[in-house]
Amino acid sequence: MEEQACIRLAREGDTEAFRALFEGHRERVFSLAYHYLKNQADAEDVMQETFIKAYHGLPGYKPDKGLNFSSWLNRICVNASIDALRKWRKKDIQSLENEEVSKLSAPSHSSNPETSARNREIREKVDQALNKLSPKQRMIFTMRHYQEYSIREIAEYMDATEGSIKKHLFRAVETLKRRLRRFVMEDGYGL
Amino acid sequence: MDCKTAKSLIILGLYGELDEGEKRDLEEHLRRCSACAAELAETKKVFSLLEENKPAVLPEVDWEKSWDKIRGGIDRRPAKNEQSIFPRWKWAFAGASLALVLGAGIFIGKYGFAPAPKPAIVSIPASSGPTSVQQAFAGYLEDVKPILLDYAHYTPGEKNGRRITVDENILRGLVFQNILLKRKLAEKDPVAAELLDDLDLVLKEITNRGTQDPQSPAGIKDLIVQRDVLFKLEIMKKL
Ligand SMILES: [Zn+2]
Repeated sequence: MEEQACIRLAREGDTEAFRALFEGHRERVFSLAYHYLKNQADAEDVMQETFIKAYHGLPGYKPDKGLNFSSWLNRICVNASIDALRKWRKKDIQSLENEEVSKLSAPSHSSNPETSARNREIREKVDQALNKLSPKQRMIFTMRHYQEYSIREIAEYMDATEGSIKKHLFRAVETLKRRLRRFVMEDGYGL
Repeated sequence: MDCKTAKSLIILGLYGELDEGEKRDLEEHLRRCSACAAELAETKKVFSLLEENKPAVLPEVDWEKSWDKIRGGIDRRPAKNEQSIFPRWKWAFAGASLALVLGAGIFIGKYGFAPAPKPAIVSIPASSGPTSVQQAFAGYLEDVKPILLDYAHYTPGEKNGRRITVDENILRGLVFQNILLKRKLAEKDPVAAELLDDLDLVLKEITNRGTQDPQSPAGIKDLIVQRDVLFKLEIMKKL
């Protein structure tokens, strides 16, 4: 079924039509939340919340206002992710950080234990640096760096000007550089 | 080009976000400036470090289970939002809400007590259809926005201590409208209800703190920023 038809039906309460919309967009929404929150359970929660909010928001969604359905979903997801991170940070950050670090030890490229330990260490440092960013900066950085959305798209999802997105991105990268610079030097990483 | 500009163009350049002119100017600068050339090399190293942190594969998601949860969320009435996080709330609108229950038409004028040239009707007719509620909601957001912007743009320690004043009657009217709109919208539009809750919090905080306390604008600004109220408001307007 064509997306516009699904939207029309879902708006009238047809949950099967909404399911089709969910199936078409779930990976992208989950991926955005996951790259941002870096935690599967939280990302799944945000993904579900995004679709629930979207369903209830559908009667007010107007594609003719220039925002297509997927951008509209991204907006809801961006907002929900930022909210989730805020709540999450309020909790005991330290204990969560440790938990995250162990969770992040995804299968590494190398089976060499030494390399794995080093990769883990890098991940840990990077995560600590990312945690120093404000939720908004982290979102902008995640979208541009890991999700490869353009600045123009990010500005659309965050309803901001491209100039302000550039400014935030610049600050985010500067913060990360400041935090990781020493590690890059010590480690003789590259160069 | 100065080094400061070059530094920001280096980052944008690595993201492929420069136009031809900017690219040329930056390359020109990098040829002449060894400090910025070193900066580029270092930024590249940090980027490759960050790359290591990118999850190579997304974890498996049980989509059926996810859909079941979404399905449940769609059917269920949205959970009531958490109560105000400001328990020190001293707040005297009880009498007013009584008037509301009695169905009294409440009018607010932007010009205080003087006969209002353009009074906004606060009460929403009981028989109102979805469109008029939506319109009332849109109008409400338009009314609140300038107040929020005033606070959001407040800079602490501003020269001469600029004071933001909001007419008490307007505030009161906005709080009433909020209650009415929430009643109308809460069930079918949780996103709107959430925003109304946030706005309610901010408006009450403004009333609560008054406009005399010089610390108050900063505190209210924090609240607006913390809850991302303006961002949500913009999203809502687009929905
Ligand atoms: Zn330079």
